[in-house]
Amino acid sequence: MIDLSWLFHLASLFPLDGMDMRFMQQALVALVLLAPMTAALGVQVVCYRMAFFSDAVGHSAFAGVAIGLVLGVNPHISMPLFGLAVGLVIMFMQRFSALPSDTVIGVVFSAVVAAGLAVVSRNNTIARDLQQFLYGDILTMTETDICWLLALFAVFVLFQIVAFNRLLYASTSSIIARAHRVPVALFEYLFAALLALVVMFSVWGVGVLLVTAMLIVPAAAARNFARSAGGMFWWAIVVSLTSAVTGLALSVQPWMGTATGATIILVCCVWFVASVVVLAVRNERQA
Amino acid sequence: MENDNAPAIVFDHVSVTRSGLNILDQVNASVPRGSCTVLIGPNGAGKTTLLLALLGEVNYRGNITLGGGRGLRIGYVPQKLALDRGMPFTVAEFLSMGIQKRPLWLGISRQARKQARDLLDLVHATHLIRRRVGTLSGGEMQRVLLALALQQNPELLVLDEPSAGVDFEGGRLFCELLEDLRKSQGFTQIMVSHDLGMVAHHATCVICLKRRVIAQGPPAKVLTGEVLQTLFGMHMGLICAQDHLHAMPAGSGHTASCGELHHD
Ligand SMILES: Nc1ncnc2c1ncn2[C@@H]1O[C@H](COP(=O)(O)OP(=O)(O)OP(=O)(O)O)[C@@H](O)[C@H]1O
Ligand SMILES: [Mg+2]
Repeated sequence: MIDLSWLFHLASLFPLDGMDMRFMQQALVALVLLAPMTAALGVQVVCYRMAFFSDAVGHSAFAGVAIGLVLGVNPHISMPLFGLAVGLVIMFMQRFSALPSDTVIGVVFSAVVAAGLAVVSRNNTIARDLQQFLYGDILTMTETDICWLLALFAVFVLFQIVAFNRLLYASTSSIIARAHRVPVALFEYLFAALLALVVMFSVWGVGVLLVTAMLIVPAAAARNFARSAGGMFWWAIVVSLTSAVTGLALSVQPWMGTATGATIILVCCVWFVASVVVLAVRNERQA
Repeated sequence: MENDNAPAIVFDHVSVTRSGLNILDQVNASVPRGSCTVLIGPNGAGKTTLLLALLGEVNYRGNITLGGGRGLRIGYVPQKLALDRGMPFTVAEFLSMGIQKRPLWLGISRQARKQARDLLDLVHATHLIRRRVGTLSGGEMQRVLLALALQQNPELLVLDEPSAGVDFEGGRLFCELLEDLRKSQGFTQIMVSHDLGMVAHHATCVICLKRRVIAQGPPAKVLTGEVLQTLFGMHMGLICAQDHLHAMPAGSGHTASCGELHHD
């Protein structure tokens, strides 16, 4: 395993009570890696109107873990792989089916949720973990998870460098993009795969119920703040990162004692409200 | 002009069926290389569908042969583009995303910005460079889309009603600009237009489409009363005549073809 102690040491320097504890350091590192990924991918999710897609992948987390436990596979491996498979199946079905895309997603969505519940209902030991999936628990991130996150982050950065312009092209009009020789299908599949993996990791952090929020809310706020597509990318990252760190800091305060995931999303929503005000003021001034 | 070498596109018995409906029926047509070929026909005639088949976007039976093979550089301007109006996405970015290697979140390179400005100059829309794509009017958007298509340095330019929504000045500008470019760069242009005045003036080849090909050839031969009547029905004659009053005020060589229809 790679030595991550330098990373945790760095995290321990963060001015917050309790940062001397390893689980807090791990939580902070995990959030600082996850937040920019969900934010930037969220921008593309908004462009592509793929919120429902990410919701479906998120909801497959439970089935992924359940199936992993049944087959005797480590859930930390079975869950992301299952999510990836679900994401690619949806993309594939959308491409080759005449049904509207939200219908396709709805069908897959129902199938994975039902599968997860079916397995769980037979097996009481997994049922206890249900709560963790609903609310998430960033404080239980293991060091191995963080290694995977680092690898995913590297792939993510590479992807954003290579694919950002092309995805923008494809989301403007896939027909124009294809006519102008952009390999649209390739980049859409890569995007869906990366998104599925990031969503699965976010489930650990904020829970199934709030995964989509991690993608959508920063992007929505960024849309109001930014004046260009490049600006929207950075604004989403700023909103997401600050919300993640603030959310973590607030949630561990004794007087708060709230779930970290929920607190992060609430801070994001404050950002969003601020962005609406900023936009209104800006439009007022222009008028 | 038409026969110096092999045609740029040959449609060979192209048929398209969608939800059990025959949209295109055994379309046989050819587009001469370097020509300005215009598809005309009433709404729902299958013009857009034929262009989409050409781009490989709809399934068809039959063959479509492209002169330069499938690796041909194509520029495409769609009939309409549904855009998210609130998206922060500038025209400069829109015209840089296809040429710039560096991701746009690292800013637009000087080179890409210069090229974007040159392209906008070309379509007489320089002032739009700072605007957001979502806030453009229909005609402004058409100009920007044309700029995007020209950026491909196309060998084949496919335009689906490029001047729909463009003002009178803009419509003429489009035609003249495209004619100049076509002559200097030698690309083939296939477009859909409802502006028969423009067709008579600028087209070198006309394909009359109404589920199947009614007629094709140079405008002077094709735009006859008989053909237009089959294509558009009786009432179209009036509109056509008005069109000519608008678009071709002084005695133009082709007014006769529509005049005939009027007397029919
Ligand atoms: N996806 C589709 N499914 C079923 N029918 C379709 C589809 N797209 C187009 N059609 C039908 O095909 C016919 C031709 O459509 P098309 O868009 O090619 O016409 P057009 O000649 O471009 O018309 P317009 O002048 O209005 O642009 C129409 O009757 C339309 O209803
Ligand atoms: Mg059309």
